Amino acid sequence: MSVLLATEGLQMRFGGVVAVDGVSLAINEGELRCLIGPNGAGKSTFFKCLTGQYKPTAGRIFWRGRDITSLDPFAIARLGVGIKTQVPSLFDGLTALEGICLCRHSSEAEARRRAMRALERLGIAALANRRVGLLAHGQRQLVELAMVVAPEPDLIILDEPTAGMSAEETSRAADLIRELNQQHAIVVVEHDMQFIRAIARTVTVFHQGRVLMEDSAATVFADPRVRDVYLGKAVA
Amino acid sequence: MDYAVVVALQIVSGVATLVIVSLGLAVVFGMMRVINLAHGEFLMLGGYTAILSYGHGINLWLSILLLPPIAVGLIGAVVERLLIRRLYGRMIDTMLATWGLSLAFIGGVTMLFGNSVTGISAPFGSFAVGRFHVAGYDLFLVAASVVMSLVIWVVLKFTPAGLIARGTMQNAEMAAALGVAPDRVYAMTFAAGAALSGLAGGLIAPVSGVLPTMGTAYIAKAFITVITGGAAMLTGTLVASGLLGTVSTVFTFLTTPVFGEVALLAVAILLLRLLPRGITGRFLRRAL
Amino acid sequence: MKTVIQIAVALAAALLGAWLLPRYLELFTLINATVFVSMGLLALSLGLIWGFGGILCFGQTAFFGIGGYTYAVAAINFGDTTLAVPLALLLSTAVAAALGYLMFFGRISDVYMGVITLTTTLILFKFANSTAGDEWNIGSAPLGGFNGIPGTPPLNFPFDPADQLAPDQVFVVAVICLGVCYALAKLILRTRFGRVAVAIKENELRAELLGYDVRLHKLGLFAFGGFLAGLAGVLFANCVFVSPTMFSLSYAGQVIIWVLVGGIGTLVGPVIGCMLIQALTTYAGTLSSIDPNLLLGVLFMLSVVAVPKGLLPTASNLLARLRGRGDA
Repeated sequence: MSVLLATEGLQMRFGGVVAVDGVSLAINEGELRCLIGPNGAGKSTFFKCLTGQYKPTAGRIFWRGRDITSLDPFAIARLGVGIKTQVPSLFDGLTALEGICLCRHSSEAEARRRAMRALERLGIAALANRRVGLLAHGQRQLVELAMVVAPEPDLIILDEPTAGMSAEETSRAADLIRELNQQHAIVVVEHDMQFIRAIARTVTVFHQGRVLMEDSAATVFADPRVRDVYLGKAVA
Repeated sequence: MDYAVVVALQIVSGVATLVIVSLGLAVVFGMMRVINLAHGEFLMLGGYTAILSYGHGINLWLSILLLPPIAVGLIGAVVERLLIRRLYGRMIDTMLATWGLSLAFIGGVTMLFGNSVTGISAPFGSFAVGRFHVAGYDLFLVAASVVMSLVIWVVLKFTPAGLIARGTMQNAEMAAALGVAPDRVYAMTFAAGAALSGLAGGLIAPVSGVLPTMGTAYIAKAFITVITGGAAMLTGTLVASGLLGTVSTVFTFLTTPVFGEVALLAVAILLLRLLPRGITGRFLRRAL
Repeated sequence: MKTVIQIAVALAAALLGAWLLPRYLELFTLINATVFVSMGLLALSLGLIWGFGGILCFGQTAFFGIGGYTYAVAAINFGDTTLAVPLALLLSTAVAAALGYLMFFGRISDVYMGVITLTTTLILFKFANSTAGDEWNIGSAPLGGFNGIPGTPPLNFPFDPADQLAPDQVFVVAVICLGVCYALAKLILRTRFGRVAVAIKENELRAELLGYDVRLHKLGLFAFGGFLAGLAGVLFANCVFVSPTMFSLSYAGQVIIWVLVGGIGTLVGPVIGCMLIQALTTYAGTLSSIDPNLLLGVLFMLSVVAVPKGLLPTASNLLARLRGRGDA
């Protein structure tokens, strides 16, 4: 299995605060990885380094072996990385279909085809002609997911996809992620333990900007250090 | 040697003038994020207050220093209550409304007092520095700019009112939860900003002709100085004034006043290109 | 489909106006009308980049003035306006592109962009104002300082300098230009480039995450806006003389007012807003009992408070609510 995305000693410092402190990890083709950790552990900052929104202060990021550390977000997206932000970033003034049709494509017809396919995959074909700004929060999350999925990226990175979702929506999202994983590698930054238990295979635990441990879900959840970290106890 | 002193004095006085005309706008924009395009007209109203009161026999210093800020501060309070208050958070609408206000002020003053230029002759005369003469009033303006900046700093840093103002600007809801009425804070801050602009108008009345459109000469420079200064209201304005004022005066000496102005504008563009969040967006970020 | 109808209506209106109005209006009114049309094109340029690109440019007058001045200088020097027009358009577009590059590739945003664009037009204003005197000539054209360039030649038929256009013919050209530019803008907004530019206004981050270079799109739209403003300047130069006022703070502010009153988010709104305010200003100038500035100022304040979205969006929202679908 080839390595899609890898980081090497990634560091992100803001003035005196080191939010991400020497993180090295590798995501393989077709993998499903969860990044977990308590608030302030550096997960979201790490996410923004991956997407190109932050330029890391040290360390490097590789895509299929190629150094992409200094690339802008649009260049990273073009490599085949789909990105779903924590707060849905959507085109409120457009309909769902219009927005998704904007994904980069070779022709208008191709764009429509892909857009409709994405909407159907996510079960929201009925929302195609609805103005996105008028949709409910859960629906907006799904529309954004459709926008991410439409160009058929190799890797999808999601930042807290279940934020604001009800228990039922969360469980459906879990099914969705598992299904998407059949065709895309997925990295999920998440908080919600239920959701993570439902989908996780390999879990990377963040703590104070570093990787505390990285292992299968079962092992991680059984480890007392992980529980301590979440409860705020000091961990070496 | 005397030439160098004169040039230095000119630079300092150029910076001081920029500080004086910008502080009112800095308070309003820096603390409330309100773009008051009528700032130049507050200045103009201050100038007219000075001219009118002096013309009616009131002491020169009262006419310049006391009456303009009071008069324009009151006008500012009324403007805030009737107009600005409805438009908080709507930056573009505020721009349009204050542009309308600016036109209305210009029109109203023209109707009341006509278009001609009036003035006050500057006190302090001039004194000699070597072969040259320096206007004493220029030095007074330098002193005034220092005093104005100091007073603002002291009020913001050391008085309860200043603390309340700063707190409300940073987080109005929190301040309200602590018992502060944000509406009153906004009203007082806007009035204070207006008063400062009025004072500026009074101060420059002796060196600038007072006419209904005098504000338009200053609004652009003040706006540019405040924005280039960045988020820290006082420090940003001072630093930006220092930089832009110096460049402008130096270029005026080397070439012509027009190129002095052009240089100020060009340097502002350069600064913003290098520091997209203004000077204090990058340096001195936690200053007042 | 809707776009095609709008373009057809606009072109038809332009042709109708071009044919009808010269027959019924006096020469003086016609020349004034030409000024209104050139201002309308200027309003269109800002309405496009602001309403659809999210680019608030305080200095659209910079490109307006560059277009006018270049046309005048070139026409006087060449003795023929045929090449002066493309040269003026080229220069105004190029300057817009350069300024756009400086701003968008420097990731400069909103308020700061406003200051930079305002500053640019002010620099040009101050510079143009200072060019009185014989040393300030470009070829045989005096720049004229605050008085401007006297005797700007009107457009002549291509390559035939002896055959200059009469004022009513200039009017026809102006109206056709406005109609064509409107159509052009509409068409560009329909292309992928245009739709991405609009998406960028909606959510810049998402557009970037879809793989689009946001900076290039803004640059392209801004440059096109410069082209339109430059063309407006050329038309203006034909019916009024070229002077530093074209760069002034007053004009720069007025363009923004036109778009605000007409409504951000449509192309027609700014043009109509411009015409309305121009007419109002002219009318206010004839009143002796009340100062025109006072009248306009009060009107603006009232319109912000009472009709905050601008005239056209408010009207179209009302219509839309009657029709039962939210759209603009």
